[in-house]
Amino acid sequence: MDDEMITVRCVCGWETTGAEDDVIVATTEHGRRLHNMTPTRDEVLAMAVARTQVQDSPVRQPGRGGR
Amino acid sequence: MTRFPDGFDVQGPVQAEVFVVWLAGDHLELTGPCGAVPWLIEIGAADHPVDVVTRIVSDVIGDPLLVHSTSWRRDREAVILSFVAVIDRSLVGTMASVPIERTVLARGEATAAPQEIATTQVVEHGLRHLAWLAVDDPVVAAELSAGWRTLLATYVPEPFRNLG
Repeated sequence: MDDEMITVRCVCGWETTGAEDDVIVATTEHGRRLHNMTPTRDEVLAMAVARTQVQDSPVRQPGRGGR
Repeated sequence: MTRFPDGFDVQGPVQAEVFVVWLAGDHLELTGPCGAVPWLIEIGAADHPVDVVTRIVSDVIGDPLLVHSTSWRRDREAVILSFVAVIDRSLVGTMASVPIERTVLARGEATAAPQEIATTQVVEHGLRHLAWLAVDDPVVAAELSAGWRTLLATYVPEPFRNLG
């Protein structure tokens, strides 16, 4: 696996790292569900930090709260 | 395109700041899906703030007992509407939670806002506002347990107000 890994952090403390498509999906879901925001793909990529050569790091899922 | 140079952050001219609180035995605690901190929610131009906050709290945590806007202030280059969302302890689950400490309120001048307002002061005012509602609003009083009402009786009742 040699895809570039990227990370997006939210000011609320949430963070996700993974392949570009996975991070975009996770970030969009986090924004929509917890903050009533729907960032575009370009907006997610604009806030991402590249983490090259980070292998096998699963994308962390958005916080679900406790139910 | 909106830019997020410092990471993902809530944007927009109107934002909600939600304090999720619950009765932990003999004291109140602050919790939330982002941790035991204010939970920021963007309010769109066509959104009703109370509807958005109630919907998102319900979707993410579960149905709240009460959602009430308690103050507003200017901050983060936006108007911040502060909300207290009261939840049942059964909804806290694994969310981080901390006891709410008492503090003095931020006070402004006769025609000017306070210079600085701490989050703890916003919570303090929010609970003073709930204390006011608990004796003034029968709907709110009916939703709060005897334990809640006993605790709120230790707060100085205050109406909704501008904090800054």
